Amino acid sequence: MRRRNSLVLFVAALAALVAAGAATAANGGFTPPAPHSPNASRIGDAYWFVFAFCAFIFVVVEVTLVVFIVRFRHRGRGREVEGPQIRGHTRLELAWTAGPALILAIIAAFTFYELPGIKNAPAATGANRLTVRVEGHQFYWQFVYPGGQVSIDRMVVPVGKVVHLTIVSPDVAHSWWVPALGGKTDAIPGQTNHTFFVADKPGVYEGRCAEFCGIQHAEMQAEVAAVSAAQFDSFLASHAAGSRTVGNETVVGACAKCHGFQGQGLVGPAIAGNSLLNDTRGLTALLRAGRPPTRTPFGMPAVGKTWSQAQLDATIAALKRTYGKGTGGG
Amino acid sequence: MAVRVETPIYRSDWKQGRIAGWLTTVDHKRIGILYIVTSLVFFGAGGILALLMRAQLATPNEHFITREKYDQVFTMHGTTMVFLVVVPILAGFGNYLVPLMIGARDMAFPRLNAFSYWMFLFGGIVLYSSWFTKGGPNSAGWTNYVPLSVNLPGHGEDLWILSLHLLTIGSLATAINFIATIVNMRTKGMTWTRMPLFVWAILTYGVMLVLVLPALAGGLTLLLLDRHAGTHFFIPDQGGSALLYQHVFWFFGHPEVYIMILPAMGIISEVIPVFSRKPIFGYRAVAFSTVGIAFLSMLVWAHHMFAVGLPWGLQVFFMVTSLAVAVPTGVKIFNWLATTWRGNLHFDTPMLYALGFIAVFTMGGLSGIFLAVFPVDWQVTDTYYVVAHLHYVLFGGSMFAVFAGLSYWWPKMFGRTLDERLGKIAFWLIFVGFNVTFFPQHMLGLLGMARRVYTYHHGGLWEWYNLASSIGSGVMALGILVFLANVVITTRRGRRAGNDPWQADTLEWYTSSPPPPENFDTVPYVTSARPLRDLRRKLAEDRA
Repeated sequence: MRRRNSLVLFVAALAALVAAGAATAANGGFTPPAPHSPNASRIGDAYWFVFAFCAFIFVVVEVTLVVFIVRFRHRGRGREVEGPQIRGHTRLELAWTAGPALILAIIAAFTFYELPGIKNAPAATGANRLTVRVEGHQFYWQFVYPGGQVSIDRMVVPVGKVVHLTIVSPDVAHSWWVPALGGKTDAIPGQTNHTFFVADKPGVYEGRCAEFCGIQHAEMQAEVAAVSAAQFDSFLASHAAGSRTVGNETVVGACAKCHGFQGQGLVGPAIAGNSLLNDTRGLTALLRAGRPPTRTPFGMPAVGKTWSQAQLDATIAALKRTYGKGTGGG
Repeated sequence: MAVRVETPIYRSDWKQGRIAGWLTTVDHKRIGILYIVTSLVFFGAGGILALLMRAQLATPNEHFITREKYDQVFTMHGTTMVFLVVVPILAGFGNYLVPLMIGARDMAFPRLNAFSYWMFLFGGIVLYSSWFTKGGPNSAGWTNYVPLSVNLPGHGEDLWILSLHLLTIGSLATAINFIATIVNMRTKGMTWTRMPLFVWAILTYGVMLVLVLPALAGGLTLLLLDRHAGTHFFIPDQGGSALLYQHVFWFFGHPEVYIMILPAMGIISEVIPVFSRKPIFGYRAVAFSTVGIAFLSMLVWAHHMFAVGLPWGLQVFFMVTSLAVAVPTGVKIFNWLATTWRGNLHFDTPMLYALGFIAVFTMGGLSGIFLAVFPVDWQVTDTYYVVAHLHYVLFGGSMFAVFAGLSYWWPKMFGRTLDERLGKIAFWLIFVGFNVTFFPQHMLGLLGMARRVYTYHHGGLWEWYNLASSIGSGVMALGILVFLANVVITTRRGRRAGNDPWQADTLEWYTSSPPPPENFDTVPYVTSARPLRDLRRKLAEDRA
């Protein structure tokens, strides 16, 4: 009998080791993605700290459960055979109240220890600091840089700079999330939220909207490209709000997700060759105010509510270029 | 001159019919069974919706259902499972069992009880009627955040609000009924600490419902006014607050989670001692931890909102309270484990579900700690990690307990035992299918898969984990079909159960199976938390 118990213990311990091994191996989804910003990396530390305690408690409970199941099974004893009528044990109760409370206190204490590095951006002034306004829209991200430059769905920042984000939404709740650069910050209408990151390596970091925001929520993705200072300057130079590039980006990010990349219609109606494209005033009104869902099943969000006049003009020009009659857009 | 007039019990014939009898019943047992059966029908509907979602997500860029249908499906799945399955099925167990367990003839207000049930059924029908409106049902998720939900076209959203209002009224009436029954109608000798632990849980369930349902009803009313009466409580452009809705919703929504788990834990606390042939370890600790969890659960709501930009002080407060809930929860798990220690464990189906509950609920509880630590929460909230966590708690927790309860009390309710072999096959299919479905979702969340997306474009691990999850859901569905087959087969051919097939501890096993109207001829004076064991011992002594 004794041998059988030790066998069970051995198998359980082995299983625990295998699980732990799998967890520490290359990220198969056992940990948040590799961090590339100091706040994300501290969140990662907190994650592993919590993980260690939880894994320990998990193994203790599950192994105890399995051992008790094997050891105290009925072995042919009838129901009338009772186990010892033990009604409780005060010291044990106190122990398993105080023990977990202590573990949780340690977890809380570690969180407080890590918190300053998570919530406070490194001090940075002037050239070392960049503030980007992040607007969550149905169903695209608009990034506005200090000089009024704009980009859609792809934020470009210089590597190593402290990037402060001002996060807002003009329509419904969204959530800004680039896992490698930190946790989520919701974009909630009527409220301005803040977060920051410092990308430590050049690269492209994937992100997305994490709060359900409507029919094309799944396509509301984002990326952050961390580039050299020189590349960043040329990016800014090409992304003036009224530029052709921004017009094109806006059409791809804000229009095409619902109307199709060829303007063939998807969630929204087909726009390729649509007569409204020749009616600049009507188009302006539609982009600024959207359309209630009376004429189409979903209506149209006011995608251009926050655009500058320059961006609006660039977008209308791009729409005409892309989907207008005779461009073969259909 | 006092003349005592015996009112003759007037029984109209039409109320005795097979169907009319059920329609007009005010018997708590029949109402309990109506609750349970109706909830199980909705469980089937919600389960089919879940399978549709898993089919859609099985592979990347799938077109099994359209995006607008997908949004409606996950909204209806969540709403169904919370409001039409878990809460009412526990009310069904409470209805059936509380009067029996406390030695009463019925609930305190039998007609109010019937009213509650019909409100529940009516609310469910209203919700499902929204499939037939122009534009279909609500598609803003079961949390129904504003401003998205304010602007949803069609009447799906309005029917959703109306349905929840009806359900809220029904639940409030039930809650008051439970409280009145338990406080006033316990049989002689049943002091608070001799009350079955399930009754403790139902009492707590009742008190919590009374405290939080008005918040939900208020929030829904404001939403309805915003949609149709031109008010702007939740519309920020016009001076309202979108965040207010989230606070109101989660002030209800988080206690709701415990409303769904505490009675389930009560079921586990009944099953484990009986099949361990021991008393519950630490009766008082288990009972008081129920109350402790309920109290703390009212103080943790904003841990659903760590990403909304709360002030740091509040984030810290809600982290500490959320961590604190883990303490009484742990106390329960350790006490259940200690109950099995040196027991004579009988692995009948109810016990398998109860042990399965401990195994998977522990996982759900521990993943909750990651969500309580708010910086970590920022990485995992609103992802599939949360989906995994909540299913470990609500399916692995509440529904496993419901299946434990169904197999345990089935003989009492219907007089016949379920087939053990089919029962065990169903358990293993559900247990394995459950873990295969939901475990990989933790990883999906950490890999970056947001919840409520109708598709994804990643291959590799995303695809493998999603496929595994979809296969698991099929295995689980198969297990539930086996359970149903078991029910159908044993309805006519099952072995007759005596009064007390499990040699259990509590008063419901004292009467016949199924119990007659008004339950008992006499009820023995209760001298401990295990009156039936006392009785068996007394009989054995008398024989000796």
